[in-house]
Amino acid sequence: MSTLSAELLRFIDELRLAEVPVSVAETLDAMRAVAAAGLADRARVREALAAALVKDEADRASFDEVFARFFGTGAGAAREAGRPGTHRRLAAAGSGRGEAGASARARPQRAWPDATPHGGAPPSAPPPAKAEPEAPGAKAPAASGDSTPRPGAAESAAAGGGVPKDAAPRGERVPQDNAAVEASDEPGIDARRQAALRSARRAPFAAYTGLEYEAARDALAPLARRFRLRLGRRLHAARRGRVDFRRTIRASLQHGGALAELRFRARRPRHADLLILADVSGSVRYCSALMLELVAGAYGYFRRVQSFVFIDHLAEAEFAGGHVATEPALDLYARSDFGRVLGEIWERRSELLSRTTLMVILGDGRNNRRPARADLLRDLRGLCRAVVWLTPEPDERWGTGDSAIHQYARAVDALHRCTNLSELERSLERSIRAVF
Amino acid sequence: MNVTPEFVSDGLRRARYITNERVETAVFLALALDKPLLIEGPAGSGKTEVAKVLAEMLGAELIRLQCYEGLDEARALYEWNYQKQLLRLQADEHRGLRWEDVSEHLFSREYLLERPLLRAISSPRKVVLLIDEVDKADEEFEAFLLELLSDFQVTVPELGTLRAREHPVVVLTSNRARELSEALRRRCLHLFIDFPGLEQERRIIEVKIPELDAQLAADAARFVNALRKLALKKPPSIAETLDWARALLRLGVTQLDASAIRAALGVLLKHEDDRAKAEAKAGALAARPR
Repeated sequence: MSTLSAELLRFIDELRLAEVPVSVAETLDAMRAVAAAGLADRARVREALAAALVKDEADRASFDEVFARFFGTGAGAAREAGRPGTHRRLAAAGSGRGEAGASARARPQRAWPDATPHGGAPPSAPPPAKAEPEAPGAKAPAASGDSTPRPGAAESAAAGGGVPKDAAPRGERVPQDNAAVEASDEPGIDARRQAALRSARRAPFAAYTGLEYEAARDALAPLARRFRLRLGRRLHAARRGRVDFRRTIRASLQHGGALAELRFRARRPRHADLLILADVSGSVRYCSALMLELVAGAYGYFRRVQSFVFIDHLAEAEFAGGHVATEPALDLYARSDFGRVLGEIWERRSELLSRTTLMVILGDGRNNRRPARADLLRDLRGLCRAVVWLTPEPDERWGTGDSAIHQYARAVDALHRCTNLSELERSLERSIRAVF
Repeated sequence: MNVTPEFVSDGLRRARYITNERVETAVFLALALDKPLLIEGPAGSGKTEVAKVLAEMLGAELIRLQCYEGLDEARALYEWNYQKQLLRLQADEHRGLRWEDVSEHLFSREYLLERPLLRAISSPRKVVLLIDEVDKADEEFEAFLLELLSDFQVTVPELGTLRAREHPVVVLTSNRARELSEALRRRCLHLFIDFPGLEQERRIIEVKIPELDAQLAADAARFVNALRKLALKKPPSIAETLDWARALLRLGVTQLDASAIRAALGVLLKHEDDRAKAEAKAGALAARPR
């Protein structure tokens, strides 16, 4: 058993290298799972390991690949890594193709990596192209394998009559193996969809092109629905919490004065206005457009929503029909100047701001070395309920070059990073929930 | 009870649940290792059905907790029966009991309203606990589930810790409305049920609707399979395929051609865009490959 668990540990190591996160607890689960499932059926062992180790369908492809490489067809990568256990395993698995399958039936379970449940099947199907180039490589360490057979192989050798025969059904295992892969992966329609959505949510804004933007907009629909739902929950009446004394007493009159039903105070929604300022200059424009689309779903929760976009001056923006329409039109080739925009807002402050306003600013704080005017921002903050800054730049770029983000950071209530779609949603939700 | 993989695959077959090695192994492991099973997958792919079939297989009661936004402990675990406690107080009013006597029986099991989780834990027999659509519940609730799932025990302050006599078989399902926490995933075995392959779907239709002509069932499965490969907003699920096949039966369709497809397409596709897309290609999709 210890050989097997060592083998499994190495397998899990490989999985981690393939960026499938596996915890120690999951490692233990995997061992138990394999012990419970038995080693007789290769496909079952694979599914057992997958159930214990792969907790996200998007990782399944990596798992299948590592599994095939480690236990199945491949020799190349594992041999290069120079692990003796792997050598022996592959040696036992990798030679004598085309021999009769009689030994496979007689083989004890211990020798699972070599064993196949359908040992008697004729090796008629040609091995698929994927396995073909690796097959000759697998034969190479066979000689060393003969001299140092591992315990399991030795047993089976005794039962089946010689190591080369023991490894006989390789030729037929390969197609069967691949058939199993197909059986589990061929449908994978939803798995693929989920993986695409997930990668769209995680793709950094910095790397966006028009194509990524379209993919992100597809991923946005379920995100926007969720966003709306979660914001809405804050405003539901409470089912517990502070007792509403007056209504409880009134309800008790029905029961002869016994306080049989408690009534609770509903959470009173606070009125809030929303003011959005989004930088739409080249580097940030995709992020801004997505934010405007996301926020559009939450308009209902605010008393008044104003959205503006800016580059070097302010323009009113509206998100309609999948596009951001600005009024007046902006010069898209201008150089961003947030200091000047702050000045414009300051002049219109009585019209735009009130004590209930939440101001959400999205921008990278790169001002082309023009005056940052963080002092104006600080004064504006004094006029509204909260000012939140979302920046699509990763932390390590803050304050580099012409970035004035640190100056602005001191003048706002919160600075959130949103380098991809899911971060954008999270930071937006956090900022908005804070004011209700 | 000694669980073997064969027991599971036989049980699933007897419950007329057509499935693959993946599902069988995961269900078997959930039983053998006594671990919760987290099932993910698109809507209508038979996630909830797994729990029902499991209950049938084990001859156990199925306790279902439907999750939703704002689900809290009072709804999921237990609640004191306030009205009953109050009645008791009023009935006792003239007996001059001391506070100790009163408080002792006021907070006994008799006044406890058992919600699904507590019921599953306190049941003397093995039960199947289905926590449906756990992604719809809040993150706080998910955290609360962790204690239950790892130790199968809950703490009621007035009564102490209640430990499960028989560990329930726990099945969680999720539609991925939000990402579940790593902590929850770690405690569960994971199973992803995707749309079935062509052959599997044909068998499902045949088993669930035996009246349907075999050729028509095969054609229907192929059509739905081809449909899923179009880039649709909402690919049809198995449940919808079955509804559609039943609709075909009721419409007296004997051969799947473009007009037959158009007649009942609304059962299969619920978005206008999807419908238009499918109708445009109905003829090509219905044609048998040569």
